Amino acid sequence: MSFGARLLVLGLAFLTLFSVLTLRLWQMQVTAAEEYRDQAETNLVRIVETPAPRGEIRDTEGRLIAGNRPALAAVVEGSLLPAADDPAIDELVQRLAAFSGLPASEIAVVLAEARERGDRETILADLNDEQAVFLVERDELFPGISVVPQPVRVYERGSSVPHVVGFIGRPDADDLEKPGIGPTDVLGKAGVEREYDEVLRGAPGIVKYQVNAQQEILETLGEQPPAPGGTLILEIDLDLQEVLNDALEQGLTLARLSHSARGCVPGDADPGCPVRAVGVVLDATDGAVLAMSSVPGYDPDLFVDGVTQAELDALPEGVFNNFAIQGQYAPASTFKAVTYVTAYENGLTPRETGSLEDEIECTGILEAPFTDASQLVWRNWKRADDGLQNIHRALVRSCNTYFWDIALNLWNEFKETAGEDQLQDWARSLGLGARTGVDLPFERHGIIPDRNLFEEWAAEQEAGGPRRLDPARLDLASPWLGGDLLQAAVGQGSVLVTPLQLATTYAAMVNGGTVWQPRVVREVVDTDGRRLLANPRQALNRVELSPRTVLQLRRDLQQVVNSPEGTAFAAFEDFGEGKSRVGGKTGTAQVIRARELEDGTTVDAVNTAIFVGVAPIDDPKYVVVVIIERGGSGGGDAAPTAKPVLQFLLNGPGAVTAVRPGAEDFD
Amino acid sequence: MALTARRMEPVTILQRERPMRPDILLVLAYFALAALGIIMVYSASAPRLEAFGEDPSSLIRRHLAFVGIGVVAFVLSSAIPGRTLRTMTPAVYIGSIVTLVAVLFAPKLAGVNRWIQIGDFQFQPSEFAKVAVILVLALLLAGAHDRLRLGHIARGIALVTVPAALTFFQPDLGTMLVFSFIAIAMLFVGGTTWRQFAFLLVAAIVIAVALFQVGALREYQLTRLTAFLDPTADLDATALYNQRQSEIAIGSGGFLGKGLFEGTQTNLSFVPAQATDFIFTAVGEQLGFIGGAIVIALYSLLVWRILAAAAAGREAFTRFVAVGVATVIVFHVFVNIGMTMRLMPVTGLPLPFISAGGSAFIAMSIALGLAHSVWMRRSPVPE
Repeated sequence: MSFGARLLVLGLAFLTLFSVLTLRLWQMQVTAAEEYRDQAETNLVRIVETPAPRGEIRDTEGRLIAGNRPALAAVVEGSLLPAADDPAIDELVQRLAAFSGLPASEIAVVLAEARERGDRETILADLNDEQAVFLVERDELFPGISVVPQPVRVYERGSSVPHVVGFIGRPDADDLEKPGIGPTDVLGKAGVEREYDEVLRGAPGIVKYQVNAQQEILETLGEQPPAPGGTLILEIDLDLQEVLNDALEQGLTLARLSHSARGCVPGDADPGCPVRAVGVVLDATDGAVLAMSSVPGYDPDLFVDGVTQAELDALPEGVFNNFAIQGQYAPASTFKAVTYVTAYENGLTPRETGSLEDEIECTGILEAPFTDASQLVWRNWKRADDGLQNIHRALVRSCNTYFWDIALNLWNEFKETAGEDQLQDWARSLGLGARTGVDLPFERHGIIPDRNLFEEWAAEQEAGGPRRLDPARLDLASPWLGGDLLQAAVGQGSVLVTPLQLATTYAAMVNGGTVWQPRVVREVVDTDGRRLLANPRQALNRVELSPRTVLQLRRDLQQVVNSPEGTAFAAFEDFGEGKSRVGGKTGTAQVIRARELEDGTTVDAVNTAIFVGVAPIDDPKYVVVVIIERGGSGGGDAAPTAKPVLQFLLNGPGAVTAVRPGAEDFD
Repeated sequence: MALTARRMEPVTILQRERPMRPDILLVLAYFALAALGIIMVYSASAPRLEAFGEDPSSLIRRHLAFVGIGVVAFVLSSAIPGRTLRTMTPAVYIGSIVTLVAVLFAPKLAGVNRWIQIGDFQFQPSEFAKVAVILVLALLLAGAHDRLRLGHIARGIALVTVPAALTFFQPDLGTMLVFSFIAIAMLFVGGTTWRQFAFLLVAAIVIAVALFQVGALREYQLTRLTAFLDPTADLDATALYNQRQSEIAIGSGGFLGKGLFEGTQTNLSFVPAQATDFIFTAVGEQLGFIGGAIVIALYSLLVWRILAAAAAGREAFTRFVAVGVATVIVFHVFVNIGMTMRLMPVTGLPLPFISAGGSAFIAMSIALGLAHSVWMRRSPVPE
């Protein structure tokens, strides 16, 4: 190839390169010019979000439970940070670590996050005056860091209602999936702080700036102030809540002292030590939760500035759980009211009687003529015979034998037919066995067992699922036995309810059959008091109870408290004025059965104490549920704890008297 | 006889006494590019300097001075005959190697050993080394007398490797690539077989890959290159940020451009280094496709005239000099404009005659002058 030819090849190669440039230029400036123009537009605008103050939480009277106080925070502007490979960034991290006391690695992560998102992240909230002045005066040492107003949560009365209010914290991995949540944002983690997080957060304000490449602000293009979060108005009455808290604390202390004269510490070492006291006060006419407490509690303020592991370890176990909706307990004898209603409404009776008004002997022992694998000998809580009883006296005396007899009769007549589950159907239609849907997170659903559920469990267990049934049952034709129905009739066996469910069901039974959905927030209002959201009462179910059933039940519940032979009589002896307007039902759920071990030592019985109070009984307005977990007996421990609450509800703060142990051996 | 004598006479006159006329097209293209450069450097620097509270004309005054020196250098080098140039070549090459070594011991500026501070002026030896490499390769190829042997190729590689290695330590990856590209193109025109040419290309690629492998490249060079090669890389990374901003600026310029001094991206300084490496971005944004296409057309004109000089050169040495000059201009233009449009990685090569930067403008003007000299002293008859 000659020199000229080679020159020609080189020239053509050069021509190709220049053609490529021209084509690319055409593609960018003619074909795709529009897209680039849009991008250039967004290049010029920087949007800075200003946080909205978190909404307040107030009680039913408008008293402040959670609010905010003005404070300053050190924030990082992602777009103003030095480049990632600039040594200045390491210096900045070290300075910030020294300044804030946070680990450098954590700060580096926040800075990287801010840069990636190009937004503002909080380094250190709630600066004190010296810190703020230090940062502002030395801003050249802290490129990209600025000091901005950022209100801080204050829980004025948080420790009075911690489980309803909840607490706030940094988002976890799931939270970060939600739109508009950054890693240094704060959001509700429990209680209404969590349930109503979106409305509490409000909407951040936006300031639009025109900027140059250094992100230096040239002019303000527009501004939209933040919309503060809505104020939650709770149904909770702080005065009542404090009375309930006091009563639960006294009741728990007394229960612990009666377990052991020197008090005790709950845990594996002492399974009989009362663990906690739980209480709910519900408005029977609309489902409003007037008070809700779980003792021991905690102070939500703990979480505002972040909480250390050591602080958490120092707290009793389960302290953050709202046992009023998360605790699942055997309702024991309090469930007899459900059996009572079922018997009246469905015309059920004990064997060999024609009517619920007929009396039979409440024997200490019932021998059940089961042909399946059920237990044959059943013992009442009171070992001796308790005299002739019809259904009214059986409820007042809490006679297991009588209710077992009804269940036995039901079983004999309906087993393996559609009517077999009529007791459970009633329980479910009165609000048990399913979540109430209260406006709080993490609610549990309770259990109302029947043949279907047991067969489901058995199938799961055979497939390697959890062990819920005695394995011997898996070999039977059906795992559901007659004895299970007898257990259910007195609220034992597999029946589980949450305290809130129990209150809801009692409210329905005494109000004529309306199952109101419980709710803790009445309404949400803006800063000017205008209503943003109403939470009106809502019926989960309406059951047609005959007025006679309702009246009889109210009368018999009144007798539980007022008749000298009622199981709660002793507990209410010093109630004072208005005692006759109080009704209730005791329950004692067996947690550990008393027995003698092979080595001759004995295991003491451990029982959970339950009481459901209703007032005024002639026109029920309030239902009070008190449960002392491993706390003794319903009549001896739970009913006396509910007493001051009912005194307050009927007669005001002056009428409240201290918790005093009731009669020890009452169911 | 008389007839013969009369027929011979004009040939003799043409050969010996033809008046040397400048290549008007080449000179016009050169002046047009330099003039455009002056306008764009001002447009790209003044608003930014003003924003920093400095004299908005400070950069353009320096640039004007360099353009003046560059034009003088162009005229002077146009006047150098091939013979003189050939005798100067070994000294120019050795002198250039010396300055490349010296710069490594000079105080660092902006973290690299690329400049030697002389008074107010930062002298950049690698720009002049490009001219030296062209000259020394032309000398080598001319000596081969159209019969290129392996020995010539080996010596050519050796002559290029020394300055390439020295610029690598500055570090200046872009200039290193310029040397390689000059060598490959000139050796090809000098008469390599296709197989040898292919071998040289492959070798260049292997060496580039090997430099990656042994980690000899500085981290930022790697980031730039890998960020370019991996389109999924984070756009906010500094390396790609510049290019991305440049691409947006050019694309948003559209067909007619936003108008001189109306560049929202360049005048608001979203685009970095816009008076130097990214000057074409300002052209693209403010003058649009029309302006960009005119710039490329001016370079095409320039390169065509230099290749014409190469074709018409009187002796092998000067022809090869012209080939080298054309190559160095094309490589700079393609890599620089390609970089602003995200066709090529960021390497920091200036745009000839347009970018602000004294050493580059003067060195390129000298190179262009040498090619111009080849045209002015061309053979009387086309080969």
